[in-house]
Amino acid sequence: MGDLTPEVQRIAGNLLSQGQVDLVLGWAKAPSNGQSVPACIRQAEQAGRLIFDQYCIHNLATGLLDHRDSSERIGIFVKGCDSRGIVRLAEDGQFPRERLYIVGICCPGMKDQAACDRAASGLFGETAGDSELAGKCRQCAHPNPVIYDELLGDQQPPFLNDVRFSDVQRIEAMGIGERGEFFSQIFSKCIRCYACRNICVACNCRQCIFDETRPQWVGRSTSAADNMMYHAFRAMHVAGRCVECGECERVCPAGLPLMLLNRKLIKDIDQLFGPYEAGLSLEEGARPPLSSYRVEDPDPFVR
Amino acid sequence: MKSFAKSAITVVLDRLAEQTRTYVPMRDGVTSNFSPWSERRASDLALNSLNTTFSPKGIVFPQTERLYDFAVDGQRADISGTHAETGENILFGARACDRKAFAALDQVFLRRGYVDTNYKARRDGLTVIGRDCLQPGPFCFCDSMGVDPMGADGADVLLHETTEEFGWEPLTEKGQALTLRLNDLLTEKELIRPESAGCRLEVNVAGLPEKLRGMFDSPVWDELSTFCMNCGVCTYICPVCHCFDIQVMNNGSSGCRFRCWDSCMYPEYNLMAGGHNPREGKRDRFRNRFLHKLEFFQERYGSFGCSGCGRCLVTCPHSLNMVLVINRLGEVKVDAS
Ligand code: SF4
Ligand code: SF4
Ligand code: SF4
Repeated sequence: MGDLTPEVQRIAGNLLSQGQVDLVLGWAKAPSNGQSVPACIRQAEQAGRLIFDQYCIHNLATGLLDHRDSSERIGIFVKGCDSRGIVRLAEDGQFPRERLYIVGICCPGMKDQAACDRAASGLFGETAGDSELAGKCRQCAHPNPVIYDELLGDQQPPFLNDVRFSDVQRIEAMGIGERGEFFSQIFSKCIRCYACRNICVACNCRQCIFDETRPQWVGRSTSAADNMMYHAFRAMHVAGRCVECGECERVCPAGLPLMLLNRKLIKDIDQLFGPYEAGLSLEEGARPPLSSYRVEDPDPFVR
Repeated sequence: MKSFAKSAITVVLDRLAEQTRTYVPMRDGVTSNFSPWSERRASDLALNSLNTTFSPKGIVFPQTERLYDFAVDGQRADISGTHAETGENILFGARACDRKAFAALDQVFLRRGYVDTNYKARRDGLTVIGRDCLQPGPFCFCDSMGVDPMGADGADVLLHETTEEFGWEPLTEKGQALTLRLNDLLTEKELIRPESAGCRLEVNVAGLPEKLRGMFDSPVWDELSTFCMNCGVCTYICPVCHCFDIQVMNNGSSGCRFRCWDSCMYPEYNLMAGGHNPREGKRDRFRNRFLHKLEFFQERYGSFGCSGCGRCLVTCPHSLNMVLVINRLGEVKVDAS
């Protein structure tokens, strides 16, 4: 795939100079170290700052939440996973499709700058090197944007080369005790920094349950019980709405395999109420399975 | 100088850990941490890693710390059991940045009138074995923050590192006491101490606190915080950040009060009792974190609230960090009037 940066700059420049949008969300190089970072530009003259390369891993759709109360029109560049994030926001009634000009980019697969930095920093244990495809991309089945006004790049094949849900099946095969042990081990390492929640496009509630104090639904201690509650609550709150962008797992400083829970729910919902995959298309009035009810919904677990 | 061969490290750690819990840098899956040494986990020892993912601040300031228990019976309330841990601990292999961070925590918890008894108990019981920092990493900028990677500040013993050896230089009474314990394992040797390669990353903080006094309303805060997600990663992995909350765990008529880390990035942290939030927007919270570290901390304690350890440079989900912020603040022109 050729360098898309000139196209990105041209499109952003035109959108702004023709007054089609008020601002553009994309990626630029950080002046301090040349890393690819999210960028927001408001003038056509700044379009030259924008870039697209293999390190544009961030899901910019979550950033739209900062603009949900404005009336500004926004141009946004999205990869496959990010585009599903936009469907998420629109379907949840958090951001109107009409205010967006979406430039889709068929994603060539991203590298994880943070993972590379960790490897180079000496701060972390075992880490992925620079040459590898990012962890979240290795699980990606939809690299091509599902919603857009304009599309860049050539259609890409899925990057997932393992059997879908093989990671989940490994956990399902465990006995109940072993599984309990496995998850308490993992979640005992959570420092409750809430990066996984804050980066998540499905975590778009204005008032999050974890921030409430009266009553306080989940304790703030990092005990096994409180940590487990945090993760169980969050997983259930995004069940059927998680678009599998993998951002939560990417940003976790403790390196927790958070997608295991999410993918388990994706798998179950698909089997019980599906076929269903969240955020693949935007349809008038469509709702995620757990937000709607059908008489024929299976309920063997209700006794 | 007294010294021991690097190959004898487990013997030395075993000896120290015999009497005193000894925290050493250990690998833990994809992360690393200072954890208590035990023979069982010998293969996780990460002496060659640069810094640990999580800073050692939790040893003196645990993320969740039980303060006291209570039981209520009608009009009666019984308060029992304070849980201050007073035991002795050893921290083995702390680098200059993390020791500087301890100095900053000491300022907050010990030096300005109020003495935090729990912190004091843990701090008094801690013996710090520092080590030379010969090869600062690509994200280290401690020397810009006034830290000498080869300095001895904050160490009870300083380890001088050569290819084969660790030189052992006791610096305080606590250090002397440990020396006695290790006496038969230490040999007298002439060591040539290598020089540190120094930090490759530099920032310019000269005059920054003064400049920031006039920058509270600068639009640069909107610009810098645009992609801040207001999570707490940077505050929790930072060795200097020390904000906490005191909360209650209720179990019917009994429970406990505990202290836990809190983050100025969280909306709830800033919320006042009457419901007013003085730092409503993320810009406000972002600005507060950096002004605290670069201006207020300097004004109150005479040093920065950052020791240049570089942890936030690799953990921020959107690659915002101390260096980027300092550089950008430096560029901004402030109207002198
Ligand atoms: S990002 Fe990781 S450490 Fe932070 S709250 Fe989520 S799971 Fe816990
Ligand atoms: S739960 Fe994780 S994978 Fe799912 S939408 Fe949120 S950040 Fe993306
Ligand atoms: S602000 Fe960042 S670089 Fe400074 S001490 Fe804290 S984590 Fe380290």
